[in-house]
Amino acid sequence: MADNDIYWNPILETLPREKLRVLQLKKFQRIFKWAYDNSPFYREFYGNAGIEPGDIKTFDDIRKVPKVEKSLLRDIQTKEPFPYGTILSVPIENVTEYHQTSGTTGQPVYQADTWQDWEWCAETWAYILYAQGYRNYDRVFIPFGYHTAIAYWMGHYGAEKLGCEVVPGGVLNTEARILKIQEVRATAIMATPTYILGMADTARTKLGIDPAKDLNIQKITVAGEPGGSIPTTKKRMEEAWGAKVYDHVGATEFGAWSYECTYQSGLHVNEAFFLVEIEDIDTGELITEPGRRGKMIITTFDRQAQPCVRFDSKDIIEWSPDECDCGRTFRLIKGGVVGRADDITKVKGVLLAPTSIEEVVRSIPQLGDEYEVLVTKKGDLDDITLRLELVPGQEDNTDAARKVLVDQLRIKTGLGYNLEFHEYGSLPRYELKAKRFKDMRPKEH
Amino acid sequence: MAEKSRIEEMARKISSIKQATNELKSMSGGIQAVDRNVDRILASVKMLEINISDLTEVL
Repeated sequence: MADNDIYWNPILETLPREKLRVLQLKKFQRIFKWAYDNSPFYREFYGNAGIEPGDIKTFDDIRKVPKVEKSLLRDIQTKEPFPYGTILSVPIENVTEYHQTSGTTGQPVYQADTWQDWEWCAETWAYILYAQGYRNYDRVFIPFGYHTAIAYWMGHYGAEKLGCEVVPGGVLNTEARILKIQEVRATAIMATPTYILGMADTARTKLGIDPAKDLNIQKITVAGEPGGSIPTTKKRMEEAWGAKVYDHVGATEFGAWSYECTYQSGLHVNEAFFLVEIEDIDTGELITEPGRRGKMIITTFDRQAQPCVRFDSKDIIEWSPDECDCGRTFRLIKGGVVGRADDITKVKGVLLAPTSIEEVVRSIPQLGDEYEVLVTKKGDLDDITLRLELVPGQEDNTDAARKVLVDQLRIKTGLGYNLEFHEYGSLPRYELKAKRFKDMRPKEH
Repeated sequence: MAEKSRIEEMARKISSIKQATNELKSMSGGIQAVDRNVDRILASVKMLEINISDLTEVL
């Protein structure tokens, strides 16, 4: 058993699982009743389904509660009160925080939070950061634009809650951020894996700074992309910065539901704050056993302004067969979010998870961190092009890199690719979520 | 058993804080500097309830 000092809340985080399950059921009943009583949308939604709070007596009853999808939220938010619509479960004058989704898959979803909700958001992040070794002596630099995306806003408030000193890296460009990290001797940073790698590259190539030697970063929390749970990407980040890298997964609509701890055994689901169900994508059957992938249905227990009850996240995850040596009883998922039910696309008749491509690319030292995948149609056939960059000085090793790529991509994804090698620095760089997978096929596909 | 007693005692203290805070708001006469800060305290009290008080139902 690990030392008690590693837990933000040693009682909750090591609660025996049978008690944790009782707690989850009670919390589900509470948020379900809250949503039913306070949200016109939920009242009608559940009324139409013929279900009401008194009907939820067991976990099996939870499965009868209809799921909410993002497209439904968009529809709800065309109604009053503007801009949240009938899902809003508090008087609008009680809303103190506005955020929104990025809108990459359609109209953005607006997220309302009261101050209490925002405390809750910071609390979930306090669990994450404490588990990752953040303490009140840390100086945390956040290289984030502080705009309408929720992103590292929660990380900022969570770090403050722990007593960390938080340095906001808002409108600075990448070079200025690196110099500020050096100037203030920051001990930790939070960003997407893409930006963590991009910052390291900029430090080396434009400033002559080696982050692993010249900076004082000891831990990095990543989110927004799967890279933190892809071993080859994680290794690149840890080597580039000389720091431990910890993954975390969350979303605007439901919050920060999972995190890696310092034992790095997988992502713990914060089961005291969330109910995570995994469903078979085709049959909807509940998956409780490890090693079988399905989509995540998630309930947020105590965030009240815009309740998230059985939200169909479309994130693909699987339970881990392992227990973490940290002593937390919160269950682990393996490999983070490996894709999305609406993103794991069939290409040439094969299910393709973009994370598999990243795992291969980042395992080849001759290749740079950036890549792009383009899926197009040639006649009736799908065609995949993988654009890559060679690290400067590796131009003579194109054939060697090509051979490894062909073999490994075939093994990991079962597909063949057109490989294009581009000049180093010519592919797009991203600060938040990277958009490397581009499906250019006609929509009817 | 000692753990259960400790949690129950903490839950009682949390409940007292909540009660006192609500009383403060009810006697403020609408002073915003009181009411808004009370709301912030109550948000923190809610986090204490989630972390401690809710456990009394399962231990």
